[in-house]
Amino acid sequence: MNTAFIRTTALLPIFALFFTACSSSTVSTNPANNNATPQTSTVIPIGIAVAQTSNVALLGQEQVAGAKIAEKYFNDQGGINGTPIKLVFQDTAGDEAGTINAFQALINKDKVVGIVGPTLSQQAFSANPIAERAKIPVLAPSNTAKGIPEIGDYIARVSAPVSVVAPNSIKAALKINPNIKKVAVFFAQNDAFSKSETEIFQQTVKEQNLELVTVQKFQTSDTDFQSQATNAINLKPDLVIISGLAADGGNLVRQLRELGYKGLIVGGNGLNTSNIFPVCKALCDGVLIAQAYSPEHPGEINTKFRQAYLDQFKKEPPQFSAQAFAAVQVYVEALKSLDQKSKVNKLELPALRTELNKQLLTGKYNTPLGEIAFTPIGEIVQKDFYVAQIKMEADGSKGKFTFLK
Amino acid sequence: MDISLFFQQLLNGLSIGSVYAIFALGYTLVYSILGIINLAHGAIFTLGAYFTYALMGGTFGFNGLLANLTLPLQLPFAISLIIGSSLAGLVGVAMERVAFLPLRRQGSDPLLTVVSSLGVAVVIVNLIQYLVGAESYTYPANTFGNLPPAINFGTVEKPIPIRTVQILIFVVSMVIVAILTYFINRTKYGKAMQAIAEDATTASLLGINSDRFIVLTFFISSFLAGLAGTLVASSVSIAGPYFGIAFGLRGLAVIVLGGLGSIPGAVLGGLLIGLVEAFVPAEYSGYKDAVAFGILFIMLLVRPQGLLGRRFVQKV
Repeated sequence: MNTAFIRTTALLPIFALFFTACSSSTVSTNPANNNATPQTSTVIPIGIAVAQTSNVALLGQEQVAGAKIAEKYFNDQGGINGTPIKLVFQDTAGDEAGTINAFQALINKDKVVGIVGPTLSQQAFSANPIAERAKIPVLAPSNTAKGIPEIGDYIARVSAPVSVVAPNSIKAALKINPNIKKVAVFFAQNDAFSKSETEIFQQTVKEQNLELVTVQKFQTSDTDFQSQATNAINLKPDLVIISGLAADGGNLVRQLRELGYKGLIVGGNGLNTSNIFPVCKALCDGVLIAQAYSPEHPGEINTKFRQAYLDQFKKEPPQFSAQAFAAVQVYVEALKSLDQKSKVNKLELPALRTELNKQLLTGKYNTPLGEIAFTPIGEIVQKDFYVAQIKMEADGSKGKFTFLK
Repeated sequence: MDISLFFQQLLNGLSIGSVYAIFALGYTLVYSILGIINLAHGAIFTLGAYFTYALMGGTFGFNGLLANLTLPLQLPFAISLIIGSSLAGLVGVAMERVAFLPLRRQGSDPLLTVVSSLGVAVVIVNLIQYLVGAESYTYPANTFGNLPPAINFGTVEKPIPIRTVQILIFVVSMVIVAILTYFINRTKYGKAMQAIAEDATTASLLGINSDRFIVLTFFISSFLAGLAGTLVASSVSIAGPYFGIAFGLRGLAVIVLGGLGSIPGAVLGGLLIGLVEAFVPAEYSGYKDAVAFGILFIMLLVRPQGLLGRRFVQKV
């Protein structure tokens, strides 16, 4: 027993490592995991590299849903001038290593024409350079941190940067309560996106001449925020701003409320998902979140997308699903335009990828997000932004984002 | 650090530490009887939380095989907790029959059993995600009836709010520790378990059916894991299928600190690690695991048998 114990203990760190490796590189059992499609002229493969496992799967699942609706919608309309598209899903899990694997599989094994992904900015900074070197276009469906399109010529995004979106929610909070003076800011320090978002939030606080009383840090993997919440509440803030992800953000909101904070709360883009409803239930009520998408956008394509999503999931489509849909749409429409110039079936794959990248940056697209276009470096140009406030039913069972006028 | 914050952290530490304690007790029981570390303990912890959620009438999300499933019953929290933890206990028994027993019959190295338990853990975690998706789930708002969300231990000017759920967790955990201690030390079954832990061969010569007690041990151990999972989830929600992994690793630090195979050691170790973690400054929360494992390594160097463990005696 003695030797067995010592050997077991010595192996613990290895087990721990193995476990994290397992949990981030498990073969996805998600039905969205398709087998590789060989490059043939009968379908045009587009890669979707988002998180289907790990704690980031919360957001990834919404992206899978949006992409699949787009696949069906555009194929029903005849695909690329008669040739259907086929989405190839590779799970990135929640970390950088998983994302790099997914990208490499899509580029070399599945031979896709372009990639939609990854879910987090943190993952994009490590995996996008691989696509850049392989000269394959990447459309980010949800990366809003600073510097994503600047990673390279082949990187663009349909997710408006946080610098454009985030300030809107603080302005909305001031509209609701003009007496806000003191602000407490919380952010997840282990997440690139939350870091860049909190900088924007803090800058906006200064620009609005508000007093920043404290900046509290946490980790996306944390569940207990009582010490940070207490520290902040003791300084009597009128507004709390949170940059994190759904599970941690939801828990932080809940614990702030349970410990007696009564003022307004602004959430960042990571909290912008109905997945926070089950975490803070009735206590989510009133949280303000700036949006790059509104289900109520009047365009025709949004009406169809919203209906398809409602039919399937019995709830309003979230921003992450709409952005994933828009990313697939940009590829489809760019491929259509390219096909009219030179048949895409006839192009060699490297040439097709390069031409597609050039083409997509020049177009204008009428998506569920409204009208979008790209700057030459691949930054999105978007017209419409919104602020939503979470409204929960009293028993906390259901909630929705209601859009402020 | 002002006094209100200190008091709060102290209660936080005791609360989470008491959960570590009952979780680590499960590890310790299996270790005492079989001399192995069951690395699926963290996955069972997660399962217990999900079982309780389902029994309380919770709905599952739209991802996974069981999309939008709700059980046609809404049991109160206390009853769900007991049934949910018992179900986790049964999963533990099934795991023992499938993954551990065949190896034991072949007399294989304990290390193989550890690897086997790791395999079980990976299967359980992925199965959960396959069935109910990766969403977070929270127990209904009325879980604790009409208790206020926080109790003020200070004054109106200098409030020291402590979340009610933290106090409940601490009380429930300590009650469980008391019951278990009584069971082990004062009942016939408990004494038989002690005998097997001491020397399985002699115990079986005395007419104790060790196989039956191994099943009982796994049931109790997994029951404790499921209970710990539910208690933590009632405070911070179920953060998805990977919810228990960090706890599984943290529990190892606890038993090494307290002393392998020692029941009071597991309780003491749990409370100590909980307290140390509570006083890690908030901005370094990412290093909580490092602190726990730092303590583990120091303990192994300074006092390998742990705080209350017995020295290993090399039998010749």
